[in-house]
Amino acid sequence: MARIRIIFENGDPERVIEFDPARAPFQHDGKPGSILDVLLGHGIHLEHACGGNCACTTCHVIVKGGGKALSESDESEEDLLDKAPGLTPTSRLGCQAVVEDPDAEIVVVIPRYTINQIVSEHGG
Amino acid sequence: MAVEYEARVARIVEHAPDTRSLFLSGPRIAFRPGQFISCLLPVGGETLIRPYSLASSPEEDDLEICLNLVPGGRASPYLLTLPVGAQVRFTGPWGTFVLDRAPEAEAVFIADGTGIAPIRPMLRRALATATRHPLRLLYGAFHNEHVPSARLRDEVARRWVDGDADRARRFFICGVGAIVPALRDLLRGAGYERRAVQYEKW
Repeated sequence: MARIRIIFENGDPERVIEFDPARAPFQHDGKPGSILDVLLGHGIHLEHACGGNCACTTCHVIVKGGGKALSESDESEEDLLDKAPGLTPTSRLGCQAVVEDPDAEIVVVIPRYTINQIVSEHGG
Repeated sequence: MAVEYEARVARIVEHAPDTRSLFLSGPRIAFRPGQFISCLLPVGGETLIRPYSLASSPEEDDLEICLNLVPGGRASPYLLTLPVGAQVRFTGPWGTFVLDRAPEAEAVFIADGTGIAPIRPMLRRALATATRHPLRLLYGAFHNEHVPSARLRDEVARRWVDGDADRARRFFICGVGAIVPALRDLLRGAGYERRAVQYEKW
């Protein structure tokens, strides 16, 4: 079984999910077996304004451990992460990072902020 | 959780069979040209989350979304049958494919089909803040179908890759499917800086 420990930057209690990656998808948004898919399928809310289609940064997570058990990011994901607030070297989009190791031990942090309602001085 | 808004379909404009704009009236939200809203659609006993770029400008009262029927999709058939007066719930604005002012360089906007939606408010903003640099639009639409990818790609290559050695341009690309990363890779591979090629792929 794979495990994901989820730490919420907003102070919510930590959660741990145990799951079998081979049983993905767990619901219908994001890549099957992605962090977004696993979290939503186990009742944990993770914002995903674009529906989990690699078109925004709202499912940004910071991988604190076990990153090697995840699929590699591609250029589209990197381009979006480039604009994510609070970007770190281990940032990923939850909808794209697929848990590939059946015995993965992953730790992720859900950041407090996502890009929403950010308006420029011209934004009216 | 994101703040949810509730709007009403104030007007429907049919552009082509299975392609229309819905004008949503209700909360006046502030957004940046190019951003999208995320509609929460009650379909088949669950809530579907679907992003729709705003084709209207931030200065306008109603929010315009433009959509076409996606074969096999569940959200577009629902939205395309909504009558005037129907309620639509959404969150947003979202997205980082934005333009706040005309770039200090030649700007090229490339849209495929309904990919013109976020480009329109970007162009308006670019025109309103225009500098001495040209603004160009390459828009492909073939009846209600998408322009054959090879044709759009060839046109971009002819004009801005093979056509000259200038690599100071900025690109804003929006469309459906593989043509978008194909254009991105073409331009970046030709020497345009990574951040000079902005795109949104549906």
